Amino acid sequence: MPDWLTNIVGSDVAAWLDYVTNGRHLQWYASFGYTIGAALLGGAVALVLGLTAAALRRSRFLPVRLASAGYANIVRGVPDVLFFLFFPLAFEQALEWIVATGACSVEERAASSALWPPCRDANIFFSTTQYFLLASVTLGIVYGAFASSVIHGATAAVPRAQLEAARAFGMSERQVLWRVQIRQMWIYALPGLSNVWMLLVKSTSLLSLLQINDIVMWADRLGAPNFQSRAGPIHPDWRWRYYLVLLVFYIALTWLSERFFRWLRRRAGRGMIAAEA
Amino acid sequence: MGFLEAIVSDIGSLAVPALFNVYFAVASIPVGFVLAVLLALARHSRRPVLSRFAAVYIYAFRGSPLFIQLFMVYSLMLSLNLSLWRPWGVDGFVLHPLFLGPLVLTLNTTAYTAEIIFGALRTVPQGELDAARAYGMSPWRQFRSVIWPNTIRVAWPAYTNEVVFLFQATALVYFALPVVDQQRDLMSKATDLFYRDFNVFAHYAVAAGYFLVISWLIFVGCGAVNRRLNAHVAPQRRVALRYAPKYLR
Repeated sequence: MPDWLTNIVGSDVAAWLDYVTNGRHLQWYASFGYTIGAALLGGAVALVLGLTAAALRRSRFLPVRLASAGYANIVRGVPDVLFFLFFPLAFEQALEWIVATGACSVEERAASSALWPPCRDANIFFSTTQYFLLASVTLGIVYGAFASSVIHGATAAVPRAQLEAARAFGMSERQVLWRVQIRQMWIYALPGLSNVWMLLVKSTSLLSLLQINDIVMWADRLGAPNFQSRAGPIHPDWRWRYYLVLLVFYIALTWLSERFFRWLRRRAGRGMIAAEA
Repeated sequence: MGFLEAIVSDIGSLAVPALFNVYFAVASIPVGFVLAVLLALARHSRRPVLSRFAAVYIYAFRGSPLFIQLFMVYSLMLSLNLSLWRPWGVDGFVLHPLFLGPLVLTLNTTAYTAEIIFGALRTVPQGELDAARAYGMSPWRQFRSVIWPNTIRVAWPAYTNEVVFLFQATALVYFALPVVDQQRDLMSKATDLFYRDFNVFAHYAVAAGYFLVISWLIFVGCGAVNRRLNAHVAPQRRVALRYAPKYLR
């Protein structure tokens, strides 16, 4: 802390400033990037998956329709945290199984006493970045199921008369789909998609369950009672203060997202009757 | 052990943990419902102080993750332990997950449910209210005979979803709170089993099956209530229950 700043703010405030800008706190601030990154990446994956699944749900081929409906209903029917734990573990095991088919000899398999992986060479360790990507994709898969049902409903909500009018103008089926149905679908889908986005933002708090050093894990570490003066001031259990910061952070994020979606809705609804509803 | 045998043995070993999830839901939903009605009335009231307070409470609890709320309340309780709970001799009780879990879930579901009921309160037809006043009904009578029946009928489909999702949210409790005496819920037990034999497909699939089945039972039960609430409405005008997750943590 430079002297001139201490002179301006006084030594008490300077000590606090010192505390909240020490190395561990800076790492905590940096870890907010994981949360926001996972939300954005997960949101993008969810949107793509949602659109794909909603499109497949209108397919002429029955098994495809069933698969899409099954994806939407099963993923929505179990808690997000279950899928969030299950998918990365299952993905890792599937990879290890594929590696094991090449890497493990019969003798090695027989010699291995552990239940998994089949042999030591097949053991995969993911880096933090890989876990982060996996977590984001998992969030995308979970909320893609929610998004697909929103988009499916919104596509059906476009007034039939408009589609018929478009056909009467001589548009081809493809033109009707892209220029009228999908163009208008967004207005009906946006309220639901904004809901899905809020859910996704809130479930980014689960990242620490996949051993990612996210904001929750740092809050836990920084707030834990500190008895060593070299690690900053000695303090009792301050965890609730740190969690309070996270609570405020998430509320602020919700508030910002709300404002963003309100703006988006107004923009998407320019000149549309449905936007006023 | 084959995959099928693993499934069958998991169905047995996850049955008791499932009861913990049911306990969390059953312990928090009725209290949360009563509090939510009061909070929704406060939100609806013309007094700005009451209405603002309710609005802030609802926004704060709906805008933040349940996971953080659990951590927050638990760590708050821990900090108060030495100064407050231990002198009173209630520390074992207040810090126990079987108390803290329902406490946080109640605070949480109160906010979500209040939002639903508040939305429904605003749909009560003004004409019916005027008629009730013209009959000289007392405020309580108005609430009992006019406002409440209308509100609950409108709110019920959304409330059904809230109950289902509260039940699913009980999966988070033991990730934030400590496990005491091997009392574990579905997720905690499935994770525990996973670290023994690394069979991710059997354990999590069975846990998911339990969640799906119990959610479905809740859905069917609430559907029966919905039919009763709408008994006087013509069949083609009734609102059918739809599995539409609008409120989740």
